[in-house]
Amino acid sequence: MGRETDFSIAVDIGGTFTDLIAYDAGGARFLHAKSLTTPHDLVEGILDCVRRSGGQLADAGEVVHGSTIAINTVLESRGSRTGLVVTRGTRDVYAIGRGNRPDAYNLFFRRPRPFVPRELTFEVPERTLASGEILEELDEQAVIDVCTELREANVDAVAVCFLHSYANPEHERRAGELIRRELPDAYVSLSHEILREYREYERTSTTVVNSYIGPIVSRYVDALGGRLAAGGFGGQLWIMQSSGGVMAPSTAARRPVAMMESGPVGGIIAAAEIGRRLGFPNVIAFDMGGTTAKASLIRDGTPTVADGYHVGGYTEGHPVLSPVVDVVEVGTGGGSIAWIDEVGALKVGPRSAGADPGPICYARGGTEPTITDANVALGRIRAHAFMGGEMALDADGARAGIAARVAQPLGLDELAAAFGIVEIATAKMSLAVREVSVAKGYDPRDFVLLASGGAGPLHAVAIARELHIPRVIVPRFPGHFSAVGMLLTDLRHDLVRTIYSRIDEVEPERIHDAYREMAAELATLIDPERLRVEAFLDMRYAGQDFTLPVPVAEHELVAGGLEVVRRRFDEVHQRRYGHHAAGERAEIVNLRVTGLGRRAKPELQDTPTPANGAALQRAPVYFARGAAAVDAPVHARDRLQAGALIEGPALIEEYASTTVVFDGDTVTVAPTLELLIDVHD
Amino acid sequence: MQSDTATALDPITLEVIRNALPAISDEMSADLRRASYNMMIYEVGDFCCALVAPDGDLISQNVGGVSHFVADLGVVVVDAIAQWGADGFAEGDVLITNHQRVAGQHLNNIVVAMPVFVDGRIVCFSMVRAHWIDVGGLSTGFGATGSVSDPWMEGLQLDQLKIVEAGRPNETLLKVLRANIRFPDASLGDLRSQIAACQLGARRVAELYARYGAAVVHDAIAQIFAEAEQRCRNVVEQIPDGVYEASAFLDDDGRAKGEPIPIHAQVTVAGSDMTIDLSGCSPQRLGAVNSRTKAGAMVAYKCLTTPAEPVNAGSFRALEVVIPEGNIMMASFPAPMSGWSLPIPTVVDTIVAALAPALPAGVPAAHLGVLGGTIIFTGLHPRTGQRFIVQSIEGGGWGGRPHEDGPSASVSVCQGDVRNAPIETIELRCPVVVEERRLRPDSAGAGRHRGGLGVDVVVRNLVPGKWNLWQTRRRGCPPWGLGGGKPGEPADYLLETPGSGGFESVDVTLHDVPADSRAIIRTAGGGGWGDPLQRDPELVLRDVREGLVSLEAAAREYGVVIDHSRLTVDHDGTAMLRASR
Repeated sequence: MGRETDFSIAVDIGGTFTDLIAYDAGGARFLHAKSLTTPHDLVEGILDCVRRSGGQLADAGEVVHGSTIAINTVLESRGSRTGLVVTRGTRDVYAIGRGNRPDAYNLFFRRPRPFVPRELTFEVPERTLASGEILEELDEQAVIDVCTELREANVDAVAVCFLHSYANPEHERRAGELIRRELPDAYVSLSHEILREYREYERTSTTVVNSYIGPIVSRYVDALGGRLAAGGFGGQLWIMQSSGGVMAPSTAARRPVAMMESGPVGGIIAAAEIGRRLGFPNVIAFDMGGTTAKASLIRDGTPTVADGYHVGGYTEGHPVLSPVVDVVEVGTGGGSIAWIDEVGALKVGPRSAGADPGPICYARGGTEPTITDANVALGRIRAHAFMGGEMALDADGARAGIAARVAQPLGLDELAAAFGIVEIATAKMSLAVREVSVAKGYDPRDFVLLASGGAGPLHAVAIARELHIPRVIVPRFPGHFSAVGMLLTDLRHDLVRTIYSRIDEVEPERIHDAYREMAAELATLIDPERLRVEAFLDMRYAGQDFTLPVPVAEHELVAGGLEVVRRRFDEVHQRRYGHHAAGERAEIVNLRVTGLGRRAKPELQDTPTPANGAALQRAPVYFARGAAAVDAPVHARDRLQAGALIEGPALIEEYASTTVVFDGDTVTVAPTLELLIDVHD
Repeated sequence: MQSDTATALDPITLEVIRNALPAISDEMSADLRRASYNMMIYEVGDFCCALVAPDGDLISQNVGGVSHFVADLGVVVVDAIAQWGADGFAEGDVLITNHQRVAGQHLNNIVVAMPVFVDGRIVCFSMVRAHWIDVGGLSTGFGATGSVSDPWMEGLQLDQLKIVEAGRPNETLLKVLRANIRFPDASLGDLRSQIAACQLGARRVAELYARYGAAVVHDAIAQIFAEAEQRCRNVVEQIPDGVYEASAFLDDDGRAKGEPIPIHAQVTVAGSDMTIDLSGCSPQRLGAVNSRTKAGAMVAYKCLTTPAEPVNAGSFRALEVVIPEGNIMMASFPAPMSGWSLPIPTVVDTIVAALAPALPAGVPAAHLGVLGGTIIFTGLHPRTGQRFIVQSIEGGGWGGRPHEDGPSASVSVCQGDVRNAPIETIELRCPVVVEERRLRPDSAGAGRHRGGLGVDVVVRNLVPGKWNLWQTRRRGCPPWGLGGGKPGEPADYLLETPGSGGFESVDVTLHDVPADSRAIIRTAGGGGWGDPLQRDPELVLRDVREGLVSLEAAAREYGVVIDHSRLTVDHDGTAMLRASR
């Protein structure tokens, strides 16, 4: 279990960059660093980042880590060869899914592409009923025979999903023992261990995804722990989850599916927190990194968390039921490649140059122009000032690449081509922001846009203007923002168990037993001394299908107590839907138990006063298509005083990002040093 | 933030309103689905939520759910105003109706409507049509389907009644409802959810008007309609002018057995205008497969023009639908309509097939063409003494496409985000065991791009009860192929009772069976696209490895010879076999 500490490190691995931020509580001091993600050896990137930051691993009590490794393994279909073992009669449940077609009028709709082909899906004789009773015993020899076939098929991972295993996991457990004995090198996931909730297709899909990414992610987490230790780290490593909480590496290795949105979620936690501290409870968090841009809506200071989502989109994606913060993502990042399609139209993304080779200006072998190259060509990123000057950019190369690949084929000049790339990117990212706000009926004029990611502040003001968002906030450390958020999270584990019963008929002891088992499991995951347990009963009226979570305390899990819970459900239903039915039968469907463990968090406003006087430089920057370059002021962000006022046009440079402000926009520096930009409409 | 002086429509306001209107009906839909009491709403999505102008124009409708509710609430609003008078409504009124004289669907589809007042004037009706699990008569479950001969036999008829008057519930009417339906808790729970959804919609509309003013909102709606129309015209403009026709048929109406029901579509394209004439379809029938609906034509038009765009009145302005009074889809009251939706997917496919030669990117071959694969079993639960009902809708195969195989096990063109019931949900609620849910090998129509596969679901009932296994009536005209592709295998329902010695094809409703009987719900495969002899032999091999196509069918349908032991393509044998065809 992690000990309280004065020095914490957070590391976020994105497609292009690895970001590090460390907080020294004793000196109220932040350290930060950024390095290129090293896809062939992600752990090396982390260690490199630690070295650059000047911090010592040996001093750190905690390392918090978020990574896109899980989601990228799914989206790029790079997972392991996986077999699936199911109850006789249900071989095709995974392929059939729910039979639905979300695009109602699309004659050419597509179904999700299964991660396990039919030829690697095997039935075994066994059957458990909804009550948990055994209808047909597990045929153990059949399991062993299936293992022979799985071995011959060279699978690396196996998922097991038997009907009603949430009610009685005995058969799954036994099959798991046999499979682990017969295939000792295989990564095995049992559905009741991943999601002890009814609905076989969703549980199968979640379990299959867990197995499919399991070998890769668990090897990664193990390697990270080992290499950190070798580097002198003796504290606790935490892994960021999609829910916004953190978990221990051993848990991550067993439940990699909980890491799916591990990367971006930190930034949303941080955006909500910064918005709250500045008095803006309604925030659109906008993050633009090297490969994608993401938007998420925060209302009344709270990010939206769902019970699960479809990885790859609702229409064609795979259901993964694991709590997740809601995010809309588009394939537009600094590394997105500009290209000409077959009819001669200019397109930007979704293909990305990533970190390797990266944009042309990185001079690491990239030949295709990217959004970053366009910003360099426009003078918005200064070649010698990138990442505090640690990484000199090849501006001539960027311009030549844009000229050859975009300008000449289109018959444009090089500047017009660079403007075109940036404008197309802005329009695409505006769509993502629109999707979380306007598309849900929220007027963006009621929100602030909080821009993060290395490339977010470069484009945020243009996006805000397009959507008439009146104010943009650029937080401190925008290029490490997800990592900042990781320092602000708590430990969290979410457990669920289906207990289907009428609340007036259930023996309270049955729920209490389950509660005690789940609380005991949480105590193995979170240091009992700081563990706080929250429980909810998913409830509905008899006949309904969707449930509402009703908070419940352990002492209420007695006969009289459940009557109180029953009445509380009426209140929750009334509040959520505007009506209730006190006279009707009510049902319990699931018990959800969440364990939270508070971690010490930095007070971001306790920052040292920056050096006096802005070191003002000037540089030629192109702000508007067709207009000449402006000799614009370039401010060093770390020299800006609280209360400072800057009129656009201007650039504000900092270590891992640049904020672009246009003519008519004004910037005020907040007391806690965020940039507050009033966008000229 | 709002500009008080704004009277002109700026682009950002238009964009906000353009997205806010569908968002209102989607929010109504999300709440209804979550708070509803029957699977027809929460799983099947057999409902629609809409905002409808007093003149009947559809302002917005929710996305998802069944497609054949597209833009069909206008006639209900026009009729409500005709019956009650333009001044006949007060704030807080809620109407309930299902009368077939106007609504033209089975009686289970209950419309709840609430006038939305802004400054004392009705600006629109906030409405929900939803399928109740029972409305008396023979309507239990998916509805009485083909088993009735008039509306009185089908169930309770409600003709534009005020279930809430100026905010006060009509207790007499509620008592009549409660006493005449079989699952009153469920249906009155659904009614509560419908009313709440209407109130939510009304609140959101009022907020929108308060924020932007009536003039701006109305300008925006007019602009949105005009744009929707233009988008459709842009697509139809690309189709060569001409008259296109196709035919199909249904086996019978369930009453006059063996007497087919002709389906015929004539599509005329002239510039950017399209006319879909369904006069060639059967006259109205004595069997209960009648309706009053233009849904077949409208669903097909929507699929072919702007499938990804929201639905509103503008979406159909450039379409003329011709269906004469007395046609099976424009039947006169009191024609029986309990199986009203049966012909619609076939009508959609027939219209699509008519246009196949004209559409540059091509169209898919025929899909399963019916609204299920429905599982319906009712009885008394031995543990609770309560009536239970098992319900699910199973998908089937879709047709092969010009560039790829058709998807398997997917619901029909009239059903969008309609989900089957999970086995575990069924068994948690009802005393049955779902023994199998699997793809049907060799059910797909062969083709260069084959159709998708149908499914077999095997259900054993643990207690005595009644099965509805009413044939879907496309056995004589199974899902057709295109461009040389073969038809898919048709659907079927089979039943085995203890001691009967095996499964038999049946065509029954509310059929009593003893415990431990088993039913097979079997859905059709999709038609194939293109000559099966041109299919890549490696794809045939893949299908054989996956067990989707048998070795025999590989040779018989595709002319592909596969080495049994090594599971590889015998190229010489294949070339010889194909040359001999």
